[in-house]
Amino acid sequence: MTTYWPWWAGAAGLALATINYTLISDRSFGVSSAWDRVLHWRSERRLERMEEEFTDEQALTEALAAATAEHFGTAAGTSTVPPVPSGQPRPLGTETEPAASGRPAATSLRPAPLVTQAALLVSIFLGGFIAAVTSGRFHLRYDMGPGFKNLVTADPITMTALLFVGGVLVGFGTRLAGGCNSGHGLNGCGRLRPVSIVATAVFFSTAVAVSFLLWKVI
Amino acid sequence: MRTRGAILLANIITGLVLGFTVANIGYGDYAELNRMFTFQSMRMFYSFAGAVVIIVCAFAVLRVPRTPGRIHAGVVPGAVLFGTGWAISGGCPAIPITQVAGGYLPALVTIAGITVGIRLCRWTNARYFHLDRGSCGL
Repeated sequence: MTTYWPWWAGAAGLALATINYTLISDRSFGVSSAWDRVLHWRSERRLERMEEEFTDEQALTEALAAATAEHFGTAAGTSTVPPVPSGQPRPLGTETEPAASGRPAATSLRPAPLVTQAALLVSIFLGGFIAAVTSGRFHLRYDMGPGFKNLVTADPITMTALLFVGGVLVGFGTRLAGGCNSGHGLNGCGRLRPVSIVATAVFFSTAVAVSFLLWKVI
Repeated sequence: MRTRGAILLANIITGLVLGFTVANIGYGDYAELNRMFTFQSMRMFYSFAGAVVIIVCAFAVLRVPRTPGRIHAGVVPGAVLFGTGWAISGGCPAIPITQVAGGYLPALVTIAGITVGIRLCRWTNARYFHLDRGSCGL
């Protein structure tokens, strides 16, 4: 029988990860966003190279808007770079409002370098591995544990299909909503952003409803 | 504007702490997750809610600016799809990574599904939705 951390230790750990990120990088992080950027590394690298080429902020903003319009299929001529994107990096302790100057500073729109997003995903793996080994929970297995077996299915094919479908829904849903537990849940709610509070409330309540429906009612 | 090295360091430290914490809370354990979603145990929910409270207080003390965020058309349907997928597979984008790290090899299938879902979202958005969805992590 393995024991997990009490709630307060978990809360402290999650808060530490989020606050540390903001303090060191002036940004907020999102795991689904990191996945998205790493999976589309070619186009992300192209944008990064473009960034490096432009020193003039206006030229950079326009080039980014054009590239984003081309990539996302947004109508040409409309600004695709949001004035204040969610999780926008801003200097700590600075109350300067970019919108007040008429347009945002281009430097404030620059996302974290692609390589750092890959580092985030690799580090999550390493952190999880260290936790599993040090707690004695590490065990190579071809199932998802007794919980999944008892509550969902013991059939390997059905399990594989459910995990894949669930994964597709998670991937599609998080990117459509613009964030996941970390981006909307921790960083967004931590900043009291209405969009993140709405998203977090909806995905938590949906998960509750689906869990009751699937595994309790049906 | 922070240096590239500082941002890299932030990502590495945060990734390590996040992976270590998520695994030790038990988010990768389907039974524990289901106990949270069916209100049999509030421990993991309190972990998440407690973290949000600490972050709100810390950001207020540190004067981290509150960033507005537009509630676009994709937020609610996206969150519904995410919540459904989370309840079915037991994974959000970070959890399957820690599951694989803990030895749960089928979680690789969840990761494959997430990969397909993310690519599908970008493709369909470019073709049909044309939503400016913003990004949680910059």
